[in-house]
Amino acid sequence: MDEISNGIRKVSFIFLLLFVVVISYVAYFEIYTSPKIVNNSDNKRLWAIRNEVLRGTIYDRNNTPLASSTRASDGVTQNRQYPGGADFAHVVGYANPQYGLTGLEYEYDSYLTASSNMNMTDYLKQLIANKGSLQQQEKVGDNVITTIDSNLQKKAYDLLGNNRGAVIAINPKTGEILAMVSKPSFDPNETALKANWSAINADNNRPLLNRAVSGLYPPGSTFKTITAISALQNINGIMNKTFDDNGVLRFNSKESLSDFDGEAFGTINFKQAYVHSSNVVFGTIGLELGNPNLKKTAEDFYFNRNLPSNGIVIDNSRFPSFNSYEKGNIAQSAIGQSEVLATPMEMAMVASTIANNGVMMEPHVVSSVVASDGDNVKSFTPTPIGTIITPDIANTMKDFMRGVVTDGTGTNANISGLDVAGKTGTADHNDGGKNAKPHSWFIGFAPVNDPQIAVAVIVEDGGQGGIAAAQIAGGVIQTSLSK
Amino acid sequence: MDSLTEEKKLLRATYLFCLISFFNLAIIKPKFDAGAIVIGVVICVLMGYAHFIVRRFFPDGDKYILIFGCILSSIGMVMIYRLDSKIAVKQVIWFVLGIASFILIVILLPELKKYAKFKYVYLVATLIFVSMSTFIGTEELGSQNWVKFHGMSFQPSEFGKIFLIAYLASALKDYENFKQLIEPACVVMVTLGFMVLQKDLGSALIFFAIAVTMLYIATSKFKYVAVSLVLFVIGCLISYKLFGHVRLRVMIWKNPWPYRSNQSYQVVQSMYGIAWGGLSGTGLGLGFPNYVPVNIDDFIFSAICEEMGALVGFAIMILSFLLFYRCMRAALFAEDKFSRLLAVGYSAMMAAQVLVIVGGVTNMIPLTGITLPLVSYGGTSMLMTFMGLGVLQKISEGGR
Repeated sequence: MDEISNGIRKVSFIFLLLFVVVISYVAYFEIYTSPKIVNNSDNKRLWAIRNEVLRGTIYDRNNTPLASSTRASDGVTQNRQYPGGADFAHVVGYANPQYGLTGLEYEYDSYLTASSNMNMTDYLKQLIANKGSLQQQEKVGDNVITTIDSNLQKKAYDLLGNNRGAVIAINPKTGEILAMVSKPSFDPNETALKANWSAINADNNRPLLNRAVSGLYPPGSTFKTITAISALQNINGIMNKTFDDNGVLRFNSKESLSDFDGEAFGTINFKQAYVHSSNVVFGTIGLELGNPNLKKTAEDFYFNRNLPSNGIVIDNSRFPSFNSYEKGNIAQSAIGQSEVLATPMEMAMVASTIANNGVMMEPHVVSSVVASDGDNVKSFTPTPIGTIITPDIANTMKDFMRGVVTDGTGTNANISGLDVAGKTGTADHNDGGKNAKPHSWFIGFAPVNDPQIAVAVIVEDGGQGGIAAAQIAGGVIQTSLSK
Repeated sequence: MDSLTEEKKLLRATYLFCLISFFNLAIIKPKFDAGAIVIGVVICVLMGYAHFIVRRFFPDGDKYILIFGCILSSIGMVMIYRLDSKIAVKQVIWFVLGIASFILIVILLPELKKYAKFKYVYLVATLIFVSMSTFIGTEELGSQNWVKFHGMSFQPSEFGKIFLIAYLASALKDYENFKQLIEPACVVMVTLGFMVLQKDLGSALIFFAIAVTMLYIATSKFKYVAVSLVLFVIGCLISYKLFGHVRLRVMIWKNPWPYRSNQSYQVVQSMYGIAWGGLSGTGLGLGFPNYVPVNIDDFIFSAICEEMGALVGFAIMILSFLLFYRCMRAALFAEDKFSRLLAVGYSAMMAAQVLVIVGGVTNMIPLTGITLPLVSYGGTSMLMTFMGLGVLQKISEGGR
């Protein structure tokens, strides 16, 4: 008898252990596995939750809807429309049950799907007042008011034409993003997205990539702006110096740096070197500055750092470190080549900071969030990121950049009466090991004395910066200021 | 310690749980649902009445068996009502019948040892039930373990388990030497073989757990258990090599994610449900347990975890273990070895079922469709479990 009760005790203990193991596994599952799987795209709950609330509308700055939702005929799901189509695809993004969320749809998802819930006491009161039956009202999410100017966005999209590239337009005083275009684009509307999804993903030109914030390009001569600022900060008497530009800067028997198109500018001063974009002079200045100084100035402008922003995610631009004997690389980096990589947004912020007398404003796409009944939920006031350069240096740079457009490489961006200032860039890059046609860059702002708009334009493989990109920038500025 | 106050405390907590849950169910719909309140009250009255009867007329028995059984059933009925109120009404009727048969068995059942002599009847019945669905079964949810008969459908292996327990109890009660073990061993192997053929791997695991537990209690020899385990492992390896469906189950279990739109759809949906609920759950009516297939029976644990939280899931496991423990304890009071083995086998069956299905829906072990005793929807299962508990209740009175 004892033997048996002993056996029963042992069996009970074994089962106890098994129960503890299974309970522990369930606990482990909740703590470690759950967070990893719960947001999987095939978890229908995510969209079921979203469908309980009719998704809010995204507006441009003039209350033109960029994305809006209607209930589907089944009464459960909803349809999202993007009246702006491909022109706004990257900045607005898409909210699609199959392909997920991107852009503003992703960044502001919690607002767009938020709707004030009734609390328990109100609920019960209403239940009693209505004698047990409750009228369910359609819940509508909050609306997001953006800073985007639809006309400008469309104009920028059209001006890019069939090129690959990006255009950004910012109000330098506030950091409001007025337009943000990336090409090639795609139609974010549900049926189109479904029909083209495999083609979009197979496309080597990567239409889904938002080049404006995630495209990393060699900035080319637009980077001379930062080199010039660094020279103004670090080299005494730079303004009074003259340089001999014989067309080639030779480092050793193998490496050298030449001016664009084999030009030679002869004896020129600092401003002339910037206005005519002399590679030889800026290579020389780069060597005089050395990598640490130039890198510090670049990092002041948020290279190698997270640029604060709202409503967009900006990839970090990169400025490399070199040893002092790597003369070729140091000189190349001073003219925006050799591992220097910048996003169009980064370069737009450089122009914007100069335009705003040295104060960088946080770039943002959303000005406010408003509840469906009109109550203000959240407003965004312009936030300075910091004073990056002194007003003196900013003024000198404004003068230089105005010179580029009046007398230098950027005359194509000149619009009479608008006083455009800017800098061109023609960025060499390799494509599959071979030298490809250079990227065409332009950064600038206008009017020079009271800047209302700062722009950055890149046209991939667009050739000389003074032509393709400068023309687009001019068009964008004209559209924005001629109202 | 005054057992009556303890029991009453526990019962009061159960009433509270039941009434609050059904009140919650009554107000989650757009229209106030008075039916839910009625059902909640009916369940409470029934539990109180059953406890009163047992307490009044059979004060020597173990009262906790009934109470734990009732708590588990009420959690199940709350969840089933949330998922499908019509089915919940049926389940409540089965609960009433279950309690009734529990009481009837306690009152009317004569000495159990009288039934020990029908060994070959049990043997034949076991073989008939375990083999039945191989020949006339239909395949559901990847296992061929249902038999449809005049519009009714049932799982013959449910009955097979009961008869196997009865058979093993009568075969092992007179254990003296190794020779006597050969016949039961063969019977168990044949049943396991049929389960594997029917792709019902979970039942196979449960049959094995029952057999090993009873073998150990009857013989007290660990070496037999060790030999059985070795044979079981060999059997697993052989069926893995031989049967595609076994390999499929193992493949899904190792990594369910690549097959989540087809072969592993159910277990992945179940995992989403459990993950969505987290520890405290979404609250009744606020989750999406309808995305989990067969959520009223096999996957009720996932549905409960989603809306009531993993904590209630733990509570179910702990209550199931306590029920198992009280049933094993009843075996100690049994006067004869047949009753004792019966009690042990039956307890092991319930516990193994909980472990296999909870392990399955969380993908801890390969999933097989099995009901969670007392919690899952199922008329026959509810009735049989309460009858089994009635027998154990009877056994628990024996020695006092």
